[in-house]
Amino acid sequence: MKAFQQNLARLEAADTQVLGVSMDSPFSNFHFASQNGITFPLLGDWSGTVTRAYGLAKEYDIQGVKVQSARRATFLIDKQGKVVETQVDDEAVDPTKTVEACERKKLKE
Amino acid sequence: MRKVLLTVLAAGLMLTGWLQSPDSRQIRAQAPAKTPPPPPLKLKVGSVAPDFTLLAFDGKNLKKVSLGDYRGKKNVVLAFYVFAFTGG
Repeated sequence: MKAFQQNLARLEAADTQVLGVSMDSPFSNFHFASQNGITFPLLGDWSGTVTRAYGLAKEYDIQGVKVQSARRATFLIDKQGKVVETQVDDEAVDPTKTVEACERKKLKE
Repeated sequence: MRKVLLTVLAAGLMLTGWLQSPDSRQIRAQAPAKTPPPPPLKLKVGSVAPDFTLLAFDGKNLKKVSLGDYRGKKNVVLAFYVFAFTGG
């Protein structure tokens, strides 16, 4: 999320709202955001409903304990509500491609 | 003849030892873990992103945020992450 924060000015200049989503509570996410200087909303998908709707539910094995969470993924959604760019797992860490796609879209409009 | 037998036996023992060395066992154990490729995303480019309403906390109030709020107004970068406080 820090990488998105570092690119926030460019994303906002390209008419883009950033929303973070995780299966944490909104309260945990608020503290996570404050600690890391994140100013865009971090939404709490407590029940995992949205994570499942986006096909990202994943079981992690942490020291033998099975834990449900989301795969890391980024979706760029245009003003018509359509998915225009996706990134998943490790490639979703660096937002450069997403930022560039937003800027290209802005030029076209 | 006895010497040959002993040599064969010794070589056999060495080979068994090598096969069971921790290194080779590790290599065999690791090999299958690498094979399954990550499944592709279900939601493809060009499809409509499912609408949702979730809560965000700003330190004072819980606020509803829907994807539909931005329809016709802004692009949205929806960034799913694994857990808060775990880096990234």
